[in-house]
Amino acid sequence: MTKTTGPEVGVTLYSFTNEWLNRQFDLDMLMREVARRGLGPNIEIIGFQSFKEFPDVSDDFASRFKDLIVETGLNPVSLAINSDRFLKPGQQPIDDATLVEYHKRQLRSAKKLGFSLVRYQFALPVHLLPDIAPYAEELGVRMGVEVHAPMWAGHPAVIAYREMYDKLQSPVLGWIPDFGGTATAIPPSLLDAARAAGAKESLIELVQQIWPEPGMSHEKAGKLREIAIREGHDPLHIQAVNLAFFILANHDPKSWAELVDRTIHIHGKFYGVNDAGVEEAIPYETILPLFRDGGFTGTIVSEWEGHAYCADDAFEQVRRHQAMCRRILAGEAVAA
Amino acid sequence: MMLPVERIIGEEGLTVTPRGLRLAMRLPWYRSLPFSVVEVASLAIDGAPVDLTDARVEYDDHSWTLAELGEATNAFWFVRDSAFLVVPTHGVAPGSEHSVSLILKIAPPYIPGMMRTNPQTATLVAG
Repeated sequence: MTKTTGPEVGVTLYSFTNEWLNRQFDLDMLMREVARRGLGPNIEIIGFQSFKEFPDVSDDFASRFKDLIVETGLNPVSLAINSDRFLKPGQQPIDDATLVEYHKRQLRSAKKLGFSLVRYQFALPVHLLPDIAPYAEELGVRMGVEVHAPMWAGHPAVIAYREMYDKLQSPVLGWIPDFGGTATAIPPSLLDAARAAGAKESLIELVQQIWPEPGMSHEKAGKLREIAIREGHDPLHIQAVNLAFFILANHDPKSWAELVDRTIHIHGKFYGVNDAGVEEAIPYETILPLFRDGGFTGTIVSEWEGHAYCADDAFEQVRRHQAMCRRILAGEAVAA
Repeated sequence: MMLPVERIIGEEGLTVTPRGLRLAMRLPWYRSLPFSVVEVASLAIDGAPVDLTDARVEYDDHSWTLAELGEATNAFWFVRDSAFLVVPTHGVAPGSEHSVSLILKIAPPYIPGMMRTNPQTATLVAG
């Protein structure tokens, strides 16, 4: 094992969602490709994206997966699990006992596949943590709740979790920041994709006007929908621009400093790294030094989400993003 | 351009089977979801709405009516797989070409209140 002296880079297979969904790669091929291109060795996998048997996994599958890890030399750092609480749309969420067991199933799968860390979600009500944390401790699996837009360090749900973390003092509980919550703008590539899909310039202007306003993301999304429908925009164009409210927020990038001490893993969310090596919407130059200087030594997995609206080459985007992260962590300025 | 995540008509296309007309469907999301959060909202062939009262969704060893789908909370649609919409009564002959319009709705189960509508129209030759 290499001694860690600072943050490491890696990649989540989520970046390759397009290549995965269009059946260009199966799991074996995708892991081999990531290894061949040198985008690992640290990887994150979303259980419900890559494993058909999930939330459970059979002995046979676990054994084949472990063989693949040995063959590729990849390091299974993080398994993203899901806190699926709203299984019946428009009805009551599932009961607490079922949700706790749903998490335990996924924790067991993580352990079985060789992951020592899981990403979980705020959809898990905070009062259930005392029922789950001891089980994760028993398994030796750390749990990071993903602070994803519209959440950020100062969000009430994050504060409630922080209080519970303080109370439980469990060695396995921590944060997984996702930088989408502290974007400076809606990615130009997202707006270009909406234009290409036929959205009118007046709708593009409207979303850019409402997105930075104060308030809750879902309320802003509702406001945009209401105005846009009134102005006669196509519902599919509205859905295309409304995506911005669900994946991005514009909170202060420096606010991540409050979470550094309990950060166990990072989602390096990004949308497009340009030829100069700069991400178009998220201020990495401000954010990464907070974690480096705050003593974070885990992994920043490159998480390209442009696939939600465009078909750019994900492998090239991840290569650029990792180069950018290494440059910033080394304290180098962007090339002139 | 249609992105992989927006595609809802599957690679296996349209086939005439002894049980009825069978259309391949893909899940318009980045991860597997329980069938309970998927709704087959409508199907039209050559512009004419198809009655889905007796239609079924088939996936691996499962088969549900559209009304039963909402109860399938522990059956997951693997995001790389097609599920199949089977319509018992239809007028489609093998080898004929049709414009097929499908609408699926999904409600991701960890994002309260989010509902996405995905339409797709494709010209398919019935196999």
